[in-house]
Amino acid sequence: MKPTALNRTLALLAFASIVVAACAAPPPAAPQQPQQPAQPQEAAQQPAEQLPPGWKAGIPKNPPDRKGKKLVIRDVPKLIGIGYFAATTRGMEEAAAELGNIDFKTDAPTEAKIEKQIEFIDNFITQGVDVILFAANDPVAIAPVLKKALDQGIIVVGYDADAQEDARQFFVNQATFEAIGQALIEDMVSQVGPDAEVAIVTSSLTAPNQNRWIEEMKKYAAAKYPNLKFVVTLPSEEDQQLAFKATQDIMKTYPNVKGVFGLSSVAFPGAADAVKQAGKCGQIAVVGLSTPNQMRPFVKEGCVKSVILWNPIDLGYAAVYAARAIADGELKPGATSLKAGRLGELKVNGSEILLGPPFIFNKDNIDNFDF
Amino acid sequence: MISAKPLESPRSSFTLQQEGVIAVAIVALSAIVSLINPDFLSANNLLDIAVNTAYIAVAAAGMTMVIVSGNIDISVGSMLGVCATIAGELARNGVPVPIAFAAAVLAGGALGAVNGLLVAYARIPAIVVTLGMLSILRGGLILVTQGRWIESLPEAFFFSQRSTLGIPNPIWVMVLVSVLTWLFMKYHRLGRAIYAVGGNAEAARLAGINPKRIYLFVFIMNGLLVGLAAVLYASRFTAIQSNAGQGFELAVISGTVVGGVSILGGVGSVMGALLGSLLISQIGTAAIFLKVSPFWLQAVQGGLILLTVLVDVLRRRRMT
Repeated sequence: MKPTALNRTLALLAFASIVVAACAAPPPAAPQQPQQPAQPQEAAQQPAEQLPPGWKAGIPKNPPDRKGKKLVIRDVPKLIGIGYFAATTRGMEEAAAELGNIDFKTDAPTEAKIEKQIEFIDNFITQGVDVILFAANDPVAIAPVLKKALDQGIIVVGYDADAQEDARQFFVNQATFEAIGQALIEDMVSQVGPDAEVAIVTSSLTAPNQNRWIEEMKKYAAAKYPNLKFVVTLPSEEDQQLAFKATQDIMKTYPNVKGVFGLSSVAFPGAADAVKQAGKCGQIAVVGLSTPNQMRPFVKEGCVKSVILWNPIDLGYAAVYAARAIADGELKPGATSLKAGRLGELKVNGSEILLGPPFIFNKDNIDNFDF
Repeated sequence: MISAKPLESPRSSFTLQQEGVIAVAIVALSAIVSLINPDFLSANNLLDIAVNTAYIAVAAAGMTMVIVSGNIDISVGSMLGVCATIAGELARNGVPVPIAFAAAVLAGGALGAVNGLLVAYARIPAIVVTLGMLSILRGGLILVTQGRWIESLPEAFFFSQRSTLGIPNPIWVMVLVSVLTWLFMKYHRLGRAIYAVGGNAEAARLAGINPKRIYLFVFIMNGLLVGLAAVLYASRFTAIQSNAGQGFELAVISGTVVGGVSILGGVGSVMGALLGSLLISQIGTAAIFLKVSPFWLQAVQGGLILLTVLVDVLRRRRMT
């Protein structure tokens, strides 16, 4: 380890690259941060047997007549063994039981690996099932096997994480940016009133989902609650410590702030922890997006009143109803709504089925969820 | 054996100077910011800055030893995550909290030993060894935690949320660790040997110091201190993040280097690293107090780091 000129150059280079990385590294997504699918395509809607113009989603080739017949449905989520997909399965089983005449099973790899997910789907194609439901580990890599399923006349419906649009028929979109933005603002206003200063702790300043949510929040607030003042937006880079520190700094720099938004499954608990440890539970509201498990301690203690996300049980439930409706010829290209049991009528936008307003977890219902 | 005195001197006169520069920068920045926003100098805010820096500064003490010896350890972020998870998992499963904490520190030491053995005896450059360790540990952590945060920790676990004699515990640990390692490196034979090896390994070897042992030693010490930092980190929050410590290595190395520890080895002190870490934390908070756009924050920090490294390189060139 004699420090030669080469070694020194290497050390400097290594350090320089670290510095560059420090300034540029995008934060990795937090685990289980559910993916936000792309915005729905603006497909023209035409109630005809022909495909509506601009229709890009896939269609099964020569499907048998399945109207009213028994359906074999196989669900292939990203992975099994985690609470989130256990919940979607629960919703699917519920829908299958309600509808009757459905042979339903979830089977998928135990780790979120795309190549294993493809194997599972391939097996189900060989078995000749009627319907494949999926939540893609990779929207591009999963496409060929899904197209193969469509070619064999199998109904293919996505939920949670979409594939390329032409590789599936319909996708159940758990939440639009707009709906999430509105729900966040409404929840905050219900706690701090319409004339308050609020701050945002986001994941990183370049995170596309978070920036869309912030855009929708501000748009909605400007129209409905013009006196809601956004004082600052600070990044937390998916780091609990940074979210904590950012919230501490917000409370000291903007003493009039009455509410803090935590916009990721890391930013939200970090912000809540800072408010709690500052002894300001009840004085400063913390509202945000996260999973029930992450927020459970704060919700139980009352420092956080509600956690906004979607209900994965409802998501799975809607996916099975969509599959049945496709088989029965009720949900087809150009449809604008889907009857989904207890969820009522869901809006269909192009090839996306919208689950509707986000779900709010609070201390009364949070224990029903484990993800 | 030799006495380290006639060997490569730790150049205490300069490092003192460098520490002095950083100390002046901290005071000046505080003064300027407090003119605009007097709350900056509130006891509350100063304590917050110190507590937020504590776990970085503790790891920076270990990093100082590694860098002074002519090496680097970029696996400390992953190590922090692993050690924090070990402490949390043990405590949650009913292991007494002091034992859980000790296990985290020892795990850090063991991981450091692996790094050290590979660097010293397999002669793989430290940047390569620790880059590998970074990935292995991060991957293993995701595999084990499955992204689940550790919650339902016993009340006794939250060491960092408590105070002793009115001062938050992390600050006590930070001060104690910094002073002890500083004294050790300045006065102890082994500590001075780290400077000797980092300054000129061949000369040190001829003088009877075994550089391999020094390398192994600094990596183990660094691991133990990262384990301690992990305890401070983990016991700070209500739940432990599954991917804790991501990017932590950057904070630690930045603080160390800004504090005057030469990335080329042989020069620097733990006090400098402590002050450097404090300065960087302070800049972050100051920018928010001054309502600087957060878009500029990283650029300012990065610029400061490059400036410090540049000054260091120029100074070395002048001296040789």
